[in-house]
Amino acid sequence: KLFLIVIVDSLVHWADLEPVPQDDGPNPVVKIAYSEKFSDVYDYFRALLKKDERSDRAFALTAEAIELNAANYTVWHYRRVLLQALQKDLREEMRYITDIIEEQPKNYQVWHHRRMVVEWLNDPSEELEFIADILSQDAKNYHAWQHRQWVIQEYKLWDNELEFVEKLLEEDVRNNSVWNQRHFVISHTTGYSSPAILDREVQYCLNQIRKAPHNESAWNYLKGILQDRGMSSHPGLLEQVLELKETHCSPYLLAFLVDCYEDALENNNQKETLNRALEVCEYLAQEKDTIRKEYWLFLQRSLESRFGPSAASGEPLADGTEPPAGQQELS
Amino acid sequence: MNAPEKVLEEFEQIDFLRDRHVRFFQRTLQVLPERYASLETTRLTVMFFAVSGLDVLDALDVIDRNNMIEWIYSLQVLPTEDQSNLSRCGFRGSSHIGIPYSVKGPGVLHPYDSGHVAMTYTGLTSLLILGDDLSRVNKQACLAGLKALQLEDGSFCAVPEGSENDIRFIYCAACICYMLDDWSGMDIQKAIEYIRGSMSYDNGFGQGAGLESHGGWTFCAIASLCLMGRLEEALSQRELDRIRRWCIMRQQSGFHGRPNKPVDTCYSFWVGATLELLDVFQYTNYEKNRNYILSTQDRLVGGFAKWPDSHPDPLHAYLGLCGLSLIGEPNLRKVHPALNITQRAFQHLQQLQQTWRDNAGTCT
Repeated sequence: KLFLIVIVDSLVHWADLEPVPQDDGPNPVVKIAYSEKFSDVYDYFRALLKKDERSDRAFALTAEAIELNAANYTVWHYRRVLLQALQKDLREEMRYITDIIEEQPKNYQVWHHRRMVVEWLNDPSEELEFIADILSQDAKNYHAWQHRQWVIQEYKLWDNELEFVEKLLEEDVRNNSVWNQRHFVISHTTGYSSPAILDREVQYCLNQIRKAPHNESAWNYLKGILQDRGMSSHPGLLEQVLELKETHCSPYLLAFLVDCYEDALENNNQKETLNRALEVCEYLAQEKDTIRKEYWLFLQRSLESRFGPSAASGEPLADGTEPPAGQQELS
Repeated sequence: MNAPEKVLEEFEQIDFLRDRHVRFFQRTLQVLPERYASLETTRLTVMFFAVSGLDVLDALDVIDRNNMIEWIYSLQVLPTEDQSNLSRCGFRGSSHIGIPYSVKGPGVLHPYDSGHVAMTYTGLTSLLILGDDLSRVNKQACLAGLKALQLEDGSFCAVPEGSENDIRFIYCAACICYMLDDWSGMDIQKAIEYIRGSMSYDNGFGQGAGLESHGGWTFCAIASLCLMGRLEEALSQRELDRIRRWCIMRQQSGFHGRPNKPVDTCYSFWVGATLELLDVFQYTNYEKNRNYILSTQDRLVGGFAKWPDSHPDPLHAYLGLCGLSLIGEPNLRKVHPALNITQRAFQHLQQLQQTWRDNAGTCT
């Protein structure tokens, strides 16, 4: 019965249109074998497109075309043209795009379409809840996080985001997307320049590390917020890390340690510091991160060359910079 | 009793099935079933994966290069008689708009016909791989179309009608300018600013400022800067060392794209090529990488998948091969890590560009 309805429908509603088939010429490449139904929808779509017809039947057809291939960006663009030309109800469009994204959350076109509709409505009020729902199904969906950052930044919806971040970190402290969002929120609100905030974040990291030591995301965040703010001069940090080394060791902890020593060496080239750094590299290479053995040995050689005895010769380094003032012996 | 059998079984598990992959790409170039409908607008990129894959396998002789070259040229959006569509020129991903087949101009006026930056990029690379001399490419039109896609912040959209904008399309744009040997199609300085702005606190690159760092976007960032010849101008030695560290930490067995995510065959190229461009790929663990990639090999239909025991697809099949090529797998052609074509195709490009320069010299 449905089949007959479709036939009658096309005879009645589309009779004036000459369908336009795809034309790949004599030697098509990567040809997709479409069913008749699929081709029919798109043959009529192409006909409408050619005329740039602005009508309800065109608008209805875009929904059919999208259902068959939601990645066709031309269909979405044409639908947006029609939404505006026909003054369609954008609230209804929000409901429509919500359903489609729930079905196909990893498609670029659907998220772009949603962004356009939100912009036209100038109404982000549904966004945070909607994105939270998508993230509840896949907490690392890149599109969802991207849309979330856009909404927050565009409409200044920063207020509750840190709370959202903390909730998600409680659910999965290893979710790298959430750590990234933490940095996004703080850097755009309070920033990290105040010692109080910086220290709060450092302690937060260390606490999360105590709970889940083998977590690259936490260590990357810790290093990230400190790397240009004096890693080796943050009070008490090195001590805390050395303490954690005994009970909560990981390749990330050890790499962080190397970076601390490197930072210290840049400000004050001490033989003892260099030796510690070289030792940790050796430990990583031979025991704790053997997959990257060659890299840790390379880093070891690089540190030796930059800060070791030969560096005191005053010869410029490979990158053209001067080596730090000659190595100092501990008295 | 079991030892020799076990050794044989292990060997079978990790051997590279060249002929299966050749056939996989051949079938890709022919017909795909309807369930691949979502690839319609990107068919040219799928062709690139297959054609470049065959090139890496040194098996281009199995296809009809001339017919394929014609099909690619039929996808070129050429200027109309009155040149009113210059900012929309480039290459289409497929015939989905319904323009009648034609390999020459002038262009057809159509309200919705325009190029797509990733299709212009893969159209040009595919032509090069197939041995074409690009003489039928309207280079000025392509560059005009490209210029129209760059935004104030330095990133690019994919199509002039509008689309999302991010670092992927900067990479496509850089490849186009590099191949056409003409950087008038983009504002390099702005692009560099966008790239720098995409560097995350953890020293990888996201799709744009503030976004999570990711192996694919990091490749786009570094490869673009290399193609522009601006790597060391845009990034300090300290930054480069930090990026090296971020990238090398992606190796788990094979590589993943983000911390705490599962490994995926394609990152053996995205991250591997980035490491190669940064001179530290040599410090990765080749054996573990190889074992992972081969564990995703489909022994029946050929190709590679993102994970073991998953369905192969052209993208992972191609990038899996490229990942193996980076570690020096025997009988695979070497791949240019920034342009993502074989060194053989790259040399063809270099010869072409020399010819263009020579001809330009004799024109005055």
